[in-house]
Amino acid sequence: MRKTGEKERNRRRETLVTTALLVFFLVLITVLGVYWKEDALLTDFSRKNLPPSLRYPFGTDFMGRDMFKRTLTGLSMSIRLGVVTAAASALLAGAAAVLAVNTNRAVDTLFQGCVDVVMGIPHMLLLILISFACGKGFFGIVMGITLTHWPSLARVLRAEALSLKAKPYMRLAGKLGVTKWALIKKHYIPHLLPQFFTGLFLLFPQAVLHEAGMTFLGFGLSPEEPAIGIILSESMKYLVMGQWWLAVFPGAALAATVLMFFGLGQKICLLIDPASVQE
Amino acid sequence: MTGKRIQAFFLAGVLAGSLLLTACTEAEENNAANESGTEKVQTESAGESVPESEQDTVIVAMSPEAEPESGFDPVYGWGAGEHVHEPLIQSTLTVTDENLEIGYDLATEMECSEDGLTWTVKIRTDAYFSDGEKLTAQDVAFTYNQLRDSSSVNDFTMLESAEAVDESTVVFHMNRPYSIWPYTMAVAGIVPEHAYDETYGQHPIGSGRYLLTQWDQGQQVILDANPDYYGEAPEMERVVIVFMEEDAALAAAMAGQVDVAYTAASYAEQEVPGYSLFSCETVDNRGFNLPAVERQTLEDGTVIGNDFTANVNVRRAINIGIDRQELIDHVLNGHGTPAYSVCDKMPWYYEGSQVEYNLEEAQALLDEAGWKIGEDGIREKNGVKASLEIAYPAGDSVRQAIAADCANQLKELGIDATSRGVGWDEAYTLALSEPLMWGWGAHTPMELYNIYHTNADTGLAEYSPYASETVDEYMDQALEADSLEESYELWKKAQWDGESGITQEGDIPWIWLVNIDHLYFVRDGLEIAPQKLHPHGHGWSIVNNVDQWSWNNQEG
Repeated sequence: MRKTGEKERNRRRETLVTTALLVFFLVLITVLGVYWKEDALLTDFSRKNLPPSLRYPFGTDFMGRDMFKRTLTGLSMSIRLGVVTAAASALLAGAAAVLAVNTNRAVDTLFQGCVDVVMGIPHMLLLILISFACGKGFFGIVMGITLTHWPSLARVLRAEALSLKAKPYMRLAGKLGVTKWALIKKHYIPHLLPQFFTGLFLLFPQAVLHEAGMTFLGFGLSPEEPAIGIILSESMKYLVMGQWWLAVFPGAALAATVLMFFGLGQKICLLIDPASVQE
Repeated sequence: MTGKRIQAFFLAGVLAGSLLLTACTEAEENNAANESGTEKVQTESAGESVPESEQDTVIVAMSPEAEPESGFDPVYGWGAGEHVHEPLIQSTLTVTDENLEIGYDLATEMECSEDGLTWTVKIRTDAYFSDGEKLTAQDVAFTYNQLRDSSSVNDFTMLESAEAVDESTVVFHMNRPYSIWPYTMAVAGIVPEHAYDETYGQHPIGSGRYLLTQWDQGQQVILDANPDYYGEAPEMERVVIVFMEEDAALAAAMAGQVDVAYTAASYAEQEVPGYSLFSCETVDNRGFNLPAVERQTLEDGTVIGNDFTANVNVRRAINIGIDRQELIDHVLNGHGTPAYSVCDKMPWYYEGSQVEYNLEEAQALLDEAGWKIGEDGIREKNGVKASLEIAYPAGDSVRQAIAADCANQLKELGIDATSRGVGWDEAYTLALSEPLMWGWGAHTPMELYNIYHTNADTGLAEYSPYASETVDEYMDQALEADSLEESYELWKKAQWDGESGITQEGDIPWIWLVNIDHLYFVRDGLEIAPQKLHPHGHGWSIVNNVDQWSWNNQEG
């Protein structure tokens, strides 16, 4: 007994340490990116097309921009954008799910309809349409990602809320005259929170990848902006000339960031999910 | 366990996804190259032609943008559109020679009436369309009336009507004098009246040097020499044009699949075995406009003008404060020439437009204009910082780099300059109040008119607010001139007459920076005939004289 207990505690500590490390790296990228924003935009033709070196770990591009700083700035923007859009998206999902379950049938049908419509349209297409309609640029991308990522999470939360609603104690509470609002506050929100956070963290990598995809396709940001998609699409042109580093390093950095987010999501799940929190 | 496995799956998916982002386009382009260029072309030439006839075939890779959207119909822009070139499949009345002066193709003589309102053109009688019908003045008149009615890409508003007075004489009735009409005639291909309908662009019938044999949209165009051509028979029997992006064109050259591949300065350093770099001088210029009026808002809400560039000394300072050679070295890797006007080296170019880079004088001009260096190194006047945002069309990396380098150079002058990419949807409006990186250059003096002449409605030039009565008058006179020679002089005077104009000493409302050389990888042994200065548009101009190209040795 005692032995297993120790092991469990170790696992919890290990998880905490990994989580802290991941958060540290992600915050570091974000902060460095903001700090280097000016440098990332700087063009200096006297140092153009340099291969990777100690001074320029990712090399420089056709306008002599430092690709390391540019990549970090791009990732920083991706992360900030990912946090904002994932949070907004998850909140939207949560609110929609709770509302759908606790009001009348019509609202629920409408909700289901919305979910079906949004999920029925190919993701990237809808993203492009919404970001165009919202005037492209940074705002367009934020709106696009926010408005397209909520349905799957909303569906999960609705199912959870429905099963909760059917529980005897909830029905009893209703019969006893507890108001809907009190029920939502006391029961629904605390019960849905773990699902909500899991969903939230799983949304990050998707949001980041979609942001990269959007900027890669050229929707949204102006080409001098350091966004990871723009960097990757520019690098395409230079692959044929053998400047692979312009594509591989930023691509790997993007993959690493996404993996870090994913890892973070997993760990946080372990920490807050009632089923695994004691493991 | 299962959790772990799912995790592993998901990780793999994410990784694959992000790798796809990088790998996808490459693979696609390679595929595209294979599909459009290689396989088709090789089956073509291997299937039909025996090795000896390869001596008469040339394969040219062009940008996908060069593919004519509406087909090979001059009425809808083939040859006579935004990017002018010889229509090859059709004949034109006149041609431009290597010095951009006028020669004859179908025409044998032309004459303009005293008042400039009637052009009489005699045409040759030995020209036949490829379907055997004779080309007559009736076809010419039909073509020009079509152009006047339907051409959306070229200006034919000066033409009232075209009329065939007999089999070989056509008369153009103009509604205003237009002395440079021969330059318009040089790009308008003649279509047959008897075989013209909406689908003409798909299967054109002409009297030009080549016939359209095959057109696989989005992939390739095959032209074969016209056996009944009235002029000298083409040396190149078959011309295959394949459409590829720049990197695919380079890859195709590296693989030896094309004979001529267009390329950009950024690729020009590449060594391609068996190929050498062929560079054509151009009047394909890049430059930016400086709004020459104070900032104001029009009734419809459009903002025009710019308080900083409204001062002529500021514009003059910018003109001599930019080192054009540095731009050429930095951005074009040396493949360009400095530009001082929209029409460098054309017969109507005023040579005095040329300026020397002079940073000190530029500084002095800015001081004189009241813009003094502030504490942070940025000039200011009455508390306003000297700032300039040079816009460039997003997606054009050369203009992006030129804009960025200009901004860097302007910083040395104490101007807080930046660059920003914009879409064409907003670019035109933006240019009314901020500089935009433009590309111009055509084989007609009309371009000067389009850029500098005022619009009757607004009283300002169309693309960037500017107005000068003297400049307007000279250009109006040039259009009314009795002869081309006389008009050249007037076009020059519009640029600078000794007192006013659009050059450094004048109002300088546009800053011209560079003419971009058009670059090609050309297979060794292929002799490309001498080129006239290419206009704007890195497309069909190279094959203007493909009929005179030749292979000078046995291949391989």
